[in-house]
Amino acid sequence: MSKILDTSVYLPEKILTNKELEKIFPSWSAKKIYTKTGIKERRIAAEHETAGDMGIKAAENLFQKDIVSRLDIDFLIFCTQAPDHILPTTACIIQNELKLPKTCGALDINLGCSGYVYSLSLANGLIESGAANNVLIITSDTYSKYINPNDKSVRTLFGDAATATVIGSSSSKESIGPFVFGTDGSGAENLIVPAGLFRLPRTAKTGIEYKDSSGNYRSSNDLYMNGPEIMLFSLKEVPTAIDSLCDKSKINLDGYDYFILHQANTFMLEALRKKLKLPPKKIPIFIENTGNTVSSTIPLVLDNLLNDKKIAKGYKVLLCGFGVGYSWAACHIQF
Amino acid sequence: MEDRFIKGMAEILEVESLTKESRFDEIGADWDSLAIVSTIALLDECFEIMIPGAKLAEVSSIDEILSIVNQNIETI
Repeated sequence: MSKILDTSVYLPEKILTNKELEKIFPSWSAKKIYTKTGIKERRIAAEHETAGDMGIKAAENLFQKDIVSRLDIDFLIFCTQAPDHILPTTACIIQNELKLPKTCGALDINLGCSGYVYSLSLANGLIESGAANNVLIITSDTYSKYINPNDKSVRTLFGDAATATVIGSSSSKESIGPFVFGTDGSGAENLIVPAGLFRLPRTAKTGIEYKDSSGNYRSSNDLYMNGPEIMLFSLKEVPTAIDSLCDKSKINLDGYDYFILHQANTFMLEALRKKLKLPPKKIPIFIENTGNTVSSTIPLVLDNLLNDKKIAKGYKVLLCGFGVGYSWAACHIQF
Repeated sequence: MEDRFIKGMAEILEVESLTKESRFDEIGADWDSLAIVSTIALLDECFEIMIPGAKLAEVSSIDEILSIVNQNIETI
C-alpha cells in the first residue's frame, strides 16, 4: 500500500486580477466575474517560465521542508500538457535540475484535469509492485501560454501553478486506492488546442483569428473550450464515477469526510454538489486566488487542507479529476 | 418544478421577473455561453434532463426551452 508523505505548491509571481480583466473586457465587470466563477485572481507564468521550471520550484519547496530527501526519490512522474520540448521528456530534465539519483525512473504524462489522480494510480502501482519506494509526482501547467488574450471565456478561468507530492510505501492503515478510470475521446474537440503538432501543424492559416458568437477571439493555435459541453460531460460522468468508486471502496457517500473535486469553477462545483446531495463543508473550494490550474487543482486543495490540519488521522477522502480528453478518474485515500 | 425553473432562469439572466413567454432579447438578458452553461445545470437540477448546449443556443424564450424539455421527456 502507499500513502502521501508530503505535498507542496509553487505559484508564479504575476497575478491577473478581475479588475485587470474588466479593463480589457469592459462589459465583464470584476464583480460579475467573481459572482459567476468564484475566481478573484489567477497566477500567470512569466514569459520564459515553463511548466518544467515551475515544477522544479514546487519540488524544491517540498525538499526544503526536510521531510523527504531528494536522494530517496526513485521515480518521478511529471504531469503536464505544456512540456518544455517535444523531446526529450521534460521529467528527464527535471531529474537533472533537482539532482535526483540517476537510478531514478522518470516520465511525463500528458493529462490535464484528471492528471493528478492518474499520477497517484501509477505511483501506487509502482509502490505496490515493489518497483519503486518513493515516487515524486509533479503537476505543472501553463495554459496561459495557450490562451488568446482576447478570449474572455478561458482567460477568466485558467491560472498557472505547479505542485509536488511524494508518495511512499505504507505499513499503517493509510492507503491510496481503489481507483476508477474513465475515457471518452468523443469529447476531444470540446477542450483542445487544435494546431501546433502533427494532426494540424501551425501555418499562417491556423493563426487567423475569428470571433465566436460570444465575442471571444481565438485562432486554431489557441485553446478552445466548449463550456456547455464540458458541463454536460461533468454532470453525467462525475456522479457516475463517484458512485463506482463508492462501490469499490465499499464506503457510501456519507462515509467520506471530503470530496476533493477538480476545481474547474465554483459554479460547476456547486452544480455537482447539488446533484450528489452533499453538504458544502464536504466539498472544499480553493479557486478564488488561483483559478483553474488544471492537474494542480486537486493537490492544491490537498496541500491547503493538510497545512491547515483539516485532514485528521482516519479521515476518508475521495478525489475526482475530470475534464480535457475527455478523461476522468476517482480514488479513495485513507489518511 | 416549472416555477422553480423559471425562478432559476430569472437569476441566471439577472432580470427581476420573467414569464414563460418573455423573449430574452426584449428583456435585455444576455443569452451567452455562461447563461447556457448555467441553464444546463438548472435543467438537470429541476427536470433531471440533459440538453445539449447547441440546442439551447438556438432558443430565445423560456417557452422554447420548456418545449425542448417536454419533447425529451416524451422521447424517454
